[in-house]
Amino acid sequence: MGRAFRVILTCARNSLVRELMFRTNFIIVTAASLLWVCANIAFYLLVFQYTPSIGAGTGWGRSQFFVFFATGLIINSIVHSVFMPNADLFSERVRTGVLDFLLVKPLDCQVLVSFERLDLSTGGNLVVGVALLIFSLIELGWVPGVIPIALYVIYVVCGVAILYSLMFSLAATTVWLGRNQTLYDFWFYLTIFGRYPMEIYRGPLGLPLRIVFTFVIPVLIVVNVPARLLIRPLYPQTLPEWGLPLFALAATAGSLWCCRRIFQAAIESYRSASS
Amino acid sequence: MIVLETKGLTKHYRVYQKQEGLWASLRGLMRREYRTIEAVRGIDLQVERGEFVAFLGPNGAGKTTTLKLLSGIITPTAGTARVLGHIPWKRENAYRRRFALVMGQKHQLWWDLPAADSFRLHQQIYGIERRQFEQTRDELTTILGVRHLLDRPVRELSLGERMKLELVAALLHRPEVLFLDEPTIGLDVVAQYSIQQFLKQYQQKYHTTILLTSHYMKDVAALCRRVIVIVAGQVVYDGSLSGIMHRFSRDKIVTVVLSDGRPAGELARFGEVVSTEWPRVKIRVPRPQVTEAIAGILHSHAVQDLSVEDPPLEEVIVEVFSHAELSPRQSSTGAGVAKGRENSP
Repeated sequence: MGRAFRVILTCARNSLVRELMFRTNFIIVTAASLLWVCANIAFYLLVFQYTPSIGAGTGWGRSQFFVFFATGLIINSIVHSVFMPNADLFSERVRTGVLDFLLVKPLDCQVLVSFERLDLSTGGNLVVGVALLIFSLIELGWVPGVIPIALYVIYVVCGVAILYSLMFSLAATTVWLGRNQTLYDFWFYLTIFGRYPMEIYRGPLGLPLRIVFTFVIPVLIVVNVPARLLIRPLYPQTLPEWGLPLFALAATAGSLWCCRRIFQAAIESYRSASS
Repeated sequence: MIVLETKGLTKHYRVYQKQEGLWASLRGLMRREYRTIEAVRGIDLQVERGEFVAFLGPNGAGKTTTLKLLSGIITPTAGTARVLGHIPWKRENAYRRRFALVMGQKHQLWWDLPAADSFRLHQQIYGIERRQFEQTRDELTTILGVRHLLDRPVRELSLGERMKLELVAALLHRPEVLFLDEPTIGLDVVAQYSIQQFLKQYQQKYHTTILLTSHYMKDVAALCRRVIVIVAGQVVYDGSLSGIMHRFSRDKIVTVVLSDGRPAGELARFGEVVSTEWPRVKIRVPRPQVTEAIAGILHSHAVQDLSVEDPPLEEVIVEVFSHAELSPRQSSTGAGVAKGRENSP
């Protein structure tokens, strides 16, 4: 375990050195992703000029929503910095056969595949996310205690783990499909459902979506659970409200287990490209 | 001591049989036809510790697939293999610490970083103690003459320099078994020679068991005393390099330097005239008739010099490949495998 951690640190260091070699590219990508975040914030500020909350009586006012948005930003920027470049690289390695070299290394292949590269250019979003979270909490006048903060961190990690599992399960399909250029598109189509509070999924159309994206592909709980834990203490709590965090833990374990099985099955089926 | 043993090692692939044309492609969306490729068909091998063995065979013969099976990258369809007491495709770390794989057409060093950074990562992955790591790195880079390149990004290096550093990366953990898949492909003669000499020295010093695939006969002739010829996924010859000549070369090349003015064409009755650069004439003569042909030439011509040699190795190998491809099923049970172990070390 210690060796794996040291390897991850060395990979992170190598990635940082690599990123800084291409300084201009690093600056451009960082600026572009910050611009995207600012555009989103401006868009939601505009929306809240026309409505005080998302749905009547849902509790998702402007500041609450920005806690939600900031949480999504934090989770997504971690996933995009750490796992997205590795998922892309994995697909490419399967296609070209360079995965061969990772399979002969005396370390868990999934660890190497998952953490080898780090894209720090989206790290700026993480800083903006944390700043927005603090600002929104101040605006709400809510100073969270140690336990809510600890729970928040735990459930952010759970959210990252669920998205990681989904991403690498999709990436692993490259082994069978031979080519997986639509990985990012498919990832986007699935995770888009987790970008908004659960309360919007109501009625004959919303309820099935809520069930599918909570219990089958649990992207809906990725941001909802940590964000709710941080701001929901302001509101009365019900049993279902507390069932969700417990389910999130189970969903995280289940997602990681499924991902591991899919990854191992993919490696067993790996054929290696011709040299 | 046997370090590598395979019995009936077999690998089949199922591949999509793509038909030509748009209509066939559209039909392929609904219903596909597959065919099975028998990449490796029942290979039986035994390799002793410290042997330097060459795998020869035409493209697609199954050489690289065999190396991938032995290094655990892919799992076999049937058969068994044990390398250093381990089943490769179980991918145990205890095994993966003891061997290395170098592929001439794929690279494992980080493209944008200096090799020194990739070496550090290898140190962490293999858990190499710092002093041993630095000692091995310095020793190998000095022998290969690439120590001064450690701090240059890999993408700025020539193919030869890159290949040398790939070799260093693979050897940092001092593997007991080394799989080399065409390590000199695309290199100029200087780099080829340099890598050959390095491998020779390294193998002699550390008694590493090395399996090499290469299409360059010079690599094979310089390094390997044992040669395994694989054609269509089967071993068709296992023995010494010189044994291939004895077994498969049906002719000898007789070179005659004439000192009279008689036309060289007259020599055609002793064999096939391969080249004429007056006064030097080369004749291909069937082996059993060599003595008779020499006597006849000496009797009928004034000869200044005469020599008899084997045809070029490449030519014989081509003959072995084409002979085996024409009758690939002949040795399917192993009965047809030409054995030349009596000549091997």
